[in-house]
Amino acid sequence: MKFKRGTVNDEIPTASMADIAFLLIIYFMVTTTFAATRGIDFSLPQEDDSPLVDKEESVLIEIQPGGVLMVDNKPLPLDNVLEYLKPKLERNPMKPVIIRANEMTEYGHMVSVFDELRQAPEKIGMEVKNVSIPTQREINMFWY
Amino acid sequence: MADIAFLLIIFFMVTINFEVDKTQVFLPKTTVRLEIPKKAAYISITESGQIRVSGGEEISVPVHPEDVLSFAADVVARDPQKEFVLKADQSVPYRYVDGVIDSLKQAKARVIYLLSEQETVDSAAGEG
Repeated sequence: MKFKRGTVNDEIPTASMADIAFLLIIYFMVTTTFAATRGIDFSLPQEDDSPLVDKEESVLIEIQPGGVLMVDNKPLPLDNVLEYLKPKLERNPMKPVIIRANEMTEYGHMVSVFDELRQAPEKIGMEVKNVSIPTQREINMFWY
Repeated sequence: MADIAFLLIIFFMVTINFEVDKTQVFLPKTTVRLEIPKKAAYISITESGQIRVSGGEEISVPVHPEDVLSFAADVVARDPQKEFVLKADQSVPYRYVDGVIDSLKQAKARVIYLLSEQETVDSAAGEG
């Protein structure tokens, strides 16, 4: 009886390498989501740097449902808010600005007001440094 | 061929960031947008006011609005410098957001990022 003696192949088989690679590519392509990873930052007051904001001294921006703005109890379009603030900021760069959104106001309106204030350096050449967004609990506790 | 394939694999592996929160929301649009640090804690609020939270590593879980405070306090206790990301739908009534911000303030969180999309000329014109 004769046995065939095959030579042992000492190379790693790489023919399927590309297939495996493409499977991995497809996996990563499917699972990759180009998620929104940007946003507008809002620093919360820390214990050591939160002077009490005086209601009388500050500019109050109220946002009513539907996005109507009441700045110091007068209606004002969003585009004019920074112009209104400019002379006040020139006198006092630390002028506090308070954003108060009505509880039924859509969140998007509040964000656009905040965004507008953050654009102050480009639009009026000075920063609105002191923006506070009191929550309902804080208003109940400290204001009335 | 395999070389190119492996290059692509490496590209996708590097760019992938596993989204901790897959809640579908319509984000508000802003002009100012800063890069959010990786591993930030997420709080998402859907249009109907449902809240989901994630510490930044794990997939988000639904919580009651009252439990946001204990979640936030827990995150801050572990890392006082931790950033929070608020992923809220643009049409959610503000009272839900107010509650979450209040919880974060009470938990002594340092900074909140309000997740947003890029404001474009078209979208600004559409709103106005």
